[in-house]
Amino acid sequence: MSTTTPEAPATVGDSRVNPVKAMLKSDRPYTVFAALIVLVVFFSVLSPVFFSAANFANIGRQTTLVTIMAVGMTFVIISAEIDLSVASILKLSGVCAALFMQNFGENWVLGAVVGLAVGTFIGLINGLLTTRLGIPSFLVTLGMLGVAKGLAFVITDTAPVLIDNTAFFKVFYEGTILGLPIPIIWTAAVLTIGGVLLHFTTFGRKVYATGGNAVAARYSGINTSRVKIYCFMLSGLLAGVASLIFAAQAHAARPDFADGLELDVIAAVILGGTSLFGGRGTIIGTFIGSLIIGVLNNGLVIIGVSSSWQIAVKGLIIILAVAFSARKR
Amino acid sequence: MTEAKPLIDMRDITVSFGVVRALRGVNFELHPGEVHALLGQNGAGKSTLIKVLSGVYQRDSGDVLIHGEQTQFKSAQDSRESGIAMVYQDLSLVPTMTVAANLFLGREPHGPLNLIRNRGLVSKAQAYLDEQGFPVKANASVDSLPFAYRQLTEIAKALMGEIKILVLDEPTSALSAGEEEILFEAVEEVTKRGVGVVYVTHRLHEVFRISDRVTVLRDGLNAGTFETADITMETLVQAIVGPGHEKMTQSTLSFEEGQRRSALLDASSEQVDVPPVIELRDVTNDRLNRVRLKVRPGEIFGLAGMVGSGRTEILETMFGLRRTVEGELLYQGEAVAWRSPAPAIRSGVALIPEDRHLQGLVLSDTISANVALPQLRGLTKFGMFARRESNRRAKSAVSELNVKAPGIVTKLEDLSGGNQQKVVFGKWLTPEPKLLLLDEPTVGVDVGARDEIYGIIRRFAQAGCAVVVISSDLVELEMLCDNIAVVHDGRIITTVHTSEIEGEEGLHQLVQESAR
Ligand SMILES: Nc1ncnc2c1ncn2[C@@H]1O[C@H](COP(=O)(O)OP(=O)(O)OP(=O)(O)O)[C@@H](O)[C@H]1O
Ligand SMILES: [Mg+2]
Repeated sequence: MSTTTPEAPATVGDSRVNPVKAMLKSDRPYTVFAALIVLVVFFSVLSPVFFSAANFANIGRQTTLVTIMAVGMTFVIISAEIDLSVASILKLSGVCAALFMQNFGENWVLGAVVGLAVGTFIGLINGLLTTRLGIPSFLVTLGMLGVAKGLAFVITDTAPVLIDNTAFFKVFYEGTILGLPIPIIWTAAVLTIGGVLLHFTTFGRKVYATGGNAVAARYSGINTSRVKIYCFMLSGLLAGVASLIFAAQAHAARPDFADGLELDVIAAVILGGTSLFGGRGTIIGTFIGSLIIGVLNNGLVIIGVSSSWQIAVKGLIIILAVAFSARKR
Repeated sequence: MTEAKPLIDMRDITVSFGVVRALRGVNFELHPGEVHALLGQNGAGKSTLIKVLSGVYQRDSGDVLIHGEQTQFKSAQDSRESGIAMVYQDLSLVPTMTVAANLFLGREPHGPLNLIRNRGLVSKAQAYLDEQGFPVKANASVDSLPFAYRQLTEIAKALMGEIKILVLDEPTSALSAGEEEILFEAVEEVTKRGVGVVYVTHRLHEVFRISDRVTVLRDGLNAGTFETADITMETLVQAIVGPGHEKMTQSTLSFEEGQRRSALLDASSEQVDVPPVIELRDVTNDRLNRVRLKVRPGEIFGLAGMVGSGRTEILETMFGLRRTVEGELLYQGEAVAWRSPAPAIRSGVALIPEDRHLQGLVLSDTISANVALPQLRGLTKFGMFARRESNRRAKSAVSELNVKAPGIVTKLEDLSGGNQQKVVFGKWLTPEPKLLLLDEPTVGVDVGARDEIYGIIRRFAQAGCAVVVISSDLVELEMLCDNIAVVHDGRIITTVHTSEIEGEEGLHQLVQESAR
C-alpha cells in the first residue's frame, strides 16, 4: 500500500540534535552552571566587594568543607543511598584526631591518620547496617548522626580540644602552594580523584549500575552490597578529611560546630544534578552545586541579609533548583 | 447510532523525540466490536502511536477523533475517563501493593465516612478474577508474583469497569498457550459488547487467531492495512520486514534446520564422551524438587511448562541466584556452590532474564554502559575503565543485533521495548559464554530480529556453548532445541528428544498433561 521507502534508521554517531534542547536534557550540569553565573552577576551588581579576587579566594576557602564532603555524598547518592551523618562524622573524626595529637606527642601525621580512620570506620558501619540488615540508609545514618555527635561530646566533655601544631596548620589550612591557599589545593585534589574514580574506573561504572537498577546489577555479577559499603566508607573518609581542614582552621576540634552542615552538602549534590533516586550524577555537577552554596552563603552576608533570612532564602533556592531539575525528566 | 462512525480515527499523526521521528504521518482506524492488530518491527512506532492515543505523549501534528470528535488527551487519566483502557508493554502495576489494591487503584469501594473498605476489596477482587478465569490470588503482593502473573493482573485491571476501547500492547509476551486463551476469551467477550480492541503483538499466529483487521507500521509510516481473512502469513511478514528482506524470515517459518542440527549433534556426541557443561543431580531447594538434567557442549536444551512451574528457578539456580540445598550442581564436571552470579559469570555462564526492566537493564544508563556491565572485570586496565574497548563492543553488538538507536550513548529508557531486549542480549556477546541461559529470549522482539537471535544461539551452540532455553512459545522451543524437559511444580516430569515429538501439538499436550 505505502510506496514510500522508509528512511534508513539513524546511524551511530548521528548528531543532528538541537543543541539547546540537548543541553537542557543532558545529564551535564549546564543549567546549574548558568544559575551560578546568574548568582555571581546578581551579587556583583548589588555589592562592589563581592566581585574581587580576595573574595573569590574567600569563597573557595569557605566552600572547602562542603565540596569535599559533597564528593563523597555524590557517590552515596548515585548508589541510591543517603548519608545524613557526615557532619557528625566530621565532629567525631576531628576530636579524635585532636585528642590523639594532644596525648601522644604531637605527631600530626598519626593524628591525621586517626581522624581519617575514624571517619572511614563510621562509614563502614553505616554501610554494613544498610546492606547486611537491610535498614534504609536514611534511618541508619540518622541514627549515626546522633551516635557520632553524642560520642564527640562525651569524649571531649563538650569542651573544644585545642591543637598546637604548626605543621598540622600548615598542611591543612594555612599554607600555600604556588600562591594558592592550601584548602583550595585539597578541594582540587579531592575533586580530581573523585572525578577519576567515578567517571574513569570500573568501580564508578558499578556505582551507577547499583543505583540505577540494583537487581540488574546483581544479575550482571556486581556485588551491590560491597559497592554501597565502599561508597559509605568514601563518604566517611572525606568527612574525615574535612574534619582535619576544619580543625586546622579553628586551631581546635570543636564538637559544637558544623551542626546542620549535612544539609548544605546534600543540597550541593542535588543542585549539581545528581538524582536522589540514584543512577545519575556527575562530580563536576557537584562542584558547581557546592559553588552555588558557597556563593549564596558568602553573597547573602555581603549584601547584608540577616542570618535568619539567609536560611530561608537558601532553602527556597534549593527547592526551586530541584523543582527545575525534576521538570526536565 | 451511526454505524459508519469509527471509535478511533487517527489521521496523519506525527511525533518526534529529538532527532528520532517515531511517527511520520500515520493513519489508524478502529470500529466498534473490532479487534484491530497493530504490527511492525521493533521501533516501528506502535507503542508511540498508542501512547498518543492515551495522552501519555502529545502529538506534534495530526488529528485524533474519538467517536467522531476531535480530542486531545493531556494525560492517561483523561483517556481512561473517556473509556479507553490500556495494557502497556512494560507493566505499570504498583509492585508493593496487593493484586486487589492494584485492580481497584483510584476506584476503591468506599464505606461510611468515605473510608476505603479493605476487607471488601480483596473478596470483591477475587470474585472478579474467578469470574473472568484469571488464576491469580487477589491478596498476593504484586512484587511476589512471577512476570506472567503480573501480566495477567494488568490485563484483568484493564478489563474492569466501563470501557469502550481496549488497547493491549504485547499483552501475551510471557504467557504460554493455555494462559493466552484466558486473554483471548476475555477479548472476545468484550467485543460482543461493542468494545473495540487494538492489539499489538509480535506473535503472528495470534493475529490470525483473534483479529479482524491488521495495520502494519514500518519506520513510522503506514505499510498497509488488511482484512485478516484475506492475507497469508507470508504477505504479513513481507509487509512487516519490507522489501529486500525476504530471506531473513526463512527459519522462522520452517523447523527443518533445527532438526538437522539435532541429528548432527547426536552422531557426534555418541562417539566422544565429553562431560556435560552443566549437570544437576537431584538438586533441591525452596522451589525445586530433585531436578536432574545434563546439558552437553553444543546442545540446546529447552524447558517447557506453565507459568509458575519452576522453569525460571532452574535457570536461577544454575546462575548462583538460588542455593542448592540438597543434591549437586556440577559445572564442567566439578561440583560448585555459587552464592551469587559473580562467580558463575566469571566461569562463563550468561543469563538473559525474563524481566528486562527489573533484572536486565539499567534504564537510566546508556547502551554502552549496559553492554559493559557483566564484563567490567575484563574491561579494567590498571583500575581504569577501558572506555574505548567498551564502546567498540557496544558498537559491534548494536550492529550485529540491528538495534535501532541514534548511537551507543542513547539511554535505554529512550529505546523501544524490542530494542531494549536486543541490548539485554548484547550484554553477553563478548566474550562468548560457555553456558547460555535464556529466559524468554525473544519476548517483544520482531520477526527479523528473532531470526538474528536464533542465528546467534545456534552459532554459540556450534562453537561448543551449552544453551538452556525457556520459552512459552512452543514452536520456538521445538525449532531450537535438541532436548526438551517438561517442568511442573519444581520437578522435571519428562525429558524428550525433539525428534520424538509430533509437532507443536504434541509438545502442547505434554505440557498440559504434566499439570495434572
Ligand atoms: N522517550 C523516547 N525518547 C526518544 N526516542 C524514543 C522514545 N520513545 C520511543 N522512541 C523511539 O521512537 C521509535 C518508535 O518507538 P516505539 O516504542 O513506538 O516502537 P514499537 O513499534 O513499539 O517497537 P517495539 O516492538 O520494540 O515495542 C523508536 O526508534 C524509539 O527508539
Ligand atoms: Mg512497543
